[in-house]
Amino acid sequence: MKRLRPGSLAWLAAHDLRQSWRSFDAALGGLTGLKATLLVGAILALHALFWQALRLSGSDGDVSRDAWLSPYVALGILFVLPGIVVQAMTAAARALYLHGDLELLFASPVSARAVLGARALSIAISAIAWFAILLFPLANVNAFAGRLHWLAIYPALIGCGLFGTGIGIGLALAFIWAVGPRRARLVSQIAATIVGALFVLGVQAYAMAPAASRASLMKALRTPVANEWLDWRGSLLLPARAATGDAAALGLWMVVAFAAFALATFALGKSFASAATSSAGARTAAPAMDGRKERAFRGSLGATLRSKERRLILRDPWLISQIVLQLIYMLPISFILWRNGGATGAPGVVFTPLIVVVGAQLAGSLAWLALSAEDAPDLLRAAPVSAAQIERHKIQAILAPIALLLCAPIVALAFVSPWSALCAALFTLGAGASTALLNLWRQTPSRRGLVLRRHSQSKFVGMIEHLLSIVWAVGAVIAVIGSWSALVPVALACLILWLSRSRSPRLNLAANA
Amino acid sequence: MREFDKDAGPPALILRDLRKSFAKTAVDGLNLTVRAGELYALLGPNGAGKTTTLRMVAGLLVPDSGEIEVFGLDARRRPIEAKRIIAWLPDEPMLYDKLDPLEYLEFVAGLWGAEPRRAQALANELLETLGLWEHRRERCEGFSRGMKQKVALAGALVHEPRLLMLDEPLTGLDAAVARQVKDLLATRVKQGATIILTTHILEVAERLADRIGIIQRGRLIAQGTLDQLRSAGGADHASLEEIFLDLTATNERAA
Repeated sequence: MKRLRPGSLAWLAAHDLRQSWRSFDAALGGLTGLKATLLVGAILALHALFWQALRLSGSDGDVSRDAWLSPYVALGILFVLPGIVVQAMTAAARALYLHGDLELLFASPVSARAVLGARALSIAISAIAWFAILLFPLANVNAFAGRLHWLAIYPALIGCGLFGTGIGIGLALAFIWAVGPRRARLVSQIAATIVGALFVLGVQAYAMAPAASRASLMKALRTPVANEWLDWRGSLLLPARAATGDAAALGLWMVVAFAAFALATFALGKSFASAATSSAGARTAAPAMDGRKERAFRGSLGATLRSKERRLILRDPWLISQIVLQLIYMLPISFILWRNGGATGAPGVVFTPLIVVVGAQLAGSLAWLALSAEDAPDLLRAAPVSAAQIERHKIQAILAPIALLLCAPIVALAFVSPWSALCAALFTLGAGASTALLNLWRQTPSRRGLVLRRHSQSKFVGMIEHLLSIVWAVGAVIAVIGSWSALVPVALACLILWLSRSRSPRLNLAANA
Repeated sequence: MREFDKDAGPPALILRDLRKSFAKTAVDGLNLTVRAGELYALLGPNGAGKTTTLRMVAGLLVPDSGEIEVFGLDARRRPIEAKRIIAWLPDEPMLYDKLDPLEYLEFVAGLWGAEPRRAQALANELLETLGLWEHRRERCEGFSRGMKQKVALAGALVHEPRLLMLDEPLTGLDAAVARQVKDLLATRVKQGATIILTTHILEVAERLADRIGIIQRGRLIAQGTLDQLRSAGGADHASLEEIFLDLTATNERAA
C-alpha cells in the first residue's frame, strides 16, 4: 500500500480490502498459523473431494460426460448471480446508511468516483470470494483432468461479481430516487432479502419441479438458442454459457459485466455521494404519532412489558419483513415434509407439519427478539424486578402474536379434520415452547435488525432449533396418523432440549437480582 | 415532588472495602459514604473505577467482595429493595428508539412499580420542565443526543428515586440543555433527593456539588467540600482543576 499513490483508486481499494480482510480475521478470532493451515487444508480437501466425485462418476477421463455435468455448473452460476446482487445491494445500503468512513472519505479532496470505485471493487471481491471457495476448486480439478475449458469459471464468476455489484449499487440508488432516502433504506433491505429468499427458494423449486420442466431447462442450458443473442433465453443464459467455456459467450459476458460495473461506479459516483449525504439527514426524521389519544399509564408490570414488546415489533417494518422472510426460508423444510406426507393425500398429514414448523420458527425468532435483542438490557437489570419475572413476561408477550398467526390455519384445518387440528395445536405449542426455551437458555445478545442472521452468531442454537422443529413436525405427522409412536419424537425433543440447556448464567438479563 | 428529610435516617450510600477486578483491578477496597440529601461528585482520571463503582451500586455488576448499603439496606443481600429507591443514568441513554417519550416513561414507571396516576402526572411535569412536551408523541429514534439524554433523565426521575446516580450526565450536551439538566438536578437536591454524579467537567462539580470525592486506581484518595480539599492541598485559592491535577499526580507518583 505504501507504493500506491495516496488517494488513487488502487490506494483506496487496498484500504477497503485491508478492512475486509481484518473483518474476516476478526471473525476467525485471529488467523493463527494453525487456523491458516486448517483453512488451506480444507480447500485442498475440497479439491480431493471433487476429484473423488469426478472419478466415481466416471467422468474423469470421459469427455462426453463433461457435457452432462456442465449444465449443472451453468445452473449454479445462474443461482450465484442473484446472491451477488443481494450482497452488493446490502453492502451499498450499509455504506449509504451506516456511513462508517464514508463521510471521512467524502470530506477529503479525493474524487467521489474513486471512492465508489474502490468500495464497489471491494464489494465485488467479497461477494465473489464466498462462491469462489466452492466453484474454483471444481474448475481446478476439471482442468487438472485435462478439460481446460472449465477454467472459464474463473472469468465468468469475476464477471458475475462485477455485473452483480453494478446492478446492486444501481438498484440501491434507484430506490433512493424512487421513494426518498428514509424509505429507501427499508425498501432496499427488504428487496435484498426477497432476492436472497428467491435464491434459496429457486434451488428448492428446481428440486421440486416436474421432471419434464427440469429436463427442458437442462436442454436449454446444454443447447441454448445458439447464436441468437437477441432471444431472451440466450441473453438470460449468457453467464451460464460463459461459465461452461463458450468463448463467444464468455467474451460478451465480460464486456457486459465490465460495462455494468463501470456504469454504476463511474457514472453514478456523484449520485452515490449525494445519496450518502441525503441519507445522513434521513436518520433525524422522527415519525410523529400525534393522532393517538392520550391514555392512562398501565399499572401492572406484565402489561407494561407486554405492550413494550408488542410496540417494538409492530413499529419495525424491517423486523416484520425479516420474520416473514425467515418463515419463507423455512418453507423448504415444510415442503419436504409436505411432499413426504402428501403421498398419503390426507390434509391433516399435509398441513400439520407445516403449521408446527412455522410455529417453532416463529417462537424461536420472537423469543430471540424479546430476550437477546433487548435494546436497553441495563435498564431492565437496574429495575427492581427479578430477571426471571422479566423473562416470564417477555415470553408471555410473544405467545399472543404466535397464537394469533397460527389460529387461522388451525381453525381451517379443524373444519376438515378436527383430530389433525388438535394435533397441530398441541404439537405447535410444544414446538414453540421448546424453541422459546432454547432461546431463553442460550441467549445471544445482538441488535434486533440481525434477526435473520441470529443463527450465524450461535450455530449451535440454530442447529438445535431446526432439529427441534423437524422432530416436533415428525411427531405431529405420526400423531395425526393415530399412532402412540408419536410419543417417541416428543420424548426425543424433550431430551434434545434438556441436553441443550446451558449451565452457565444467562447473558442478557442476568444480574444480581 | 416528594420531600425528604435530609437529616433523618441512615446515609444514602455506604461502600465498605468494595472490590472488583476484570483483567486488572478496577475497584480496590473502596470505602465511601454519601450523606442523604447531598449532591456528591465522584471525580477521577479515565479508568479510575468510577463507572464500575456506580454499576455495582446499581446492581449491574456483582462485586468480588465488600459491602454496599443504600439507605440502610444491604444492596447485595436485598437487591430488589435497594433498586426500588435507586435510579441509574449512564452516559449512553438506555432508550428504545421505537417508543415515544411518554411511552418510555410509562414503561420505566411500570418497571419500578410506580403508582400509575402519580407517575403519569410526574411524567407530564418532567416533559414540560425538560422542554420535551411538544415531542412527547415522536419516536426517540429521530432525537438528537441531547434530547435522548433528557428523555433518559426523565426516565430516571419518573419513579422518584431517593438515590440518583448519573454517569457523565452532561457529556455531549449543548449549553442550553446542560443548563436545564443542572437546574433540574439542583431542584431535586433541594427537594431532598441524593445525587451522585461522575463528571470530567470540573466546573460542574465545583458549582453544584456539596462534597467531592476523588478516586484513582479504584481507591478514594481525597474527599470533602471544595474548601476542605483546598485546605488539604495547602492552596486556599486553587481551582478544583488545580487541586484535582495535583492530587492525582501526587498519588500517581506514590503508586
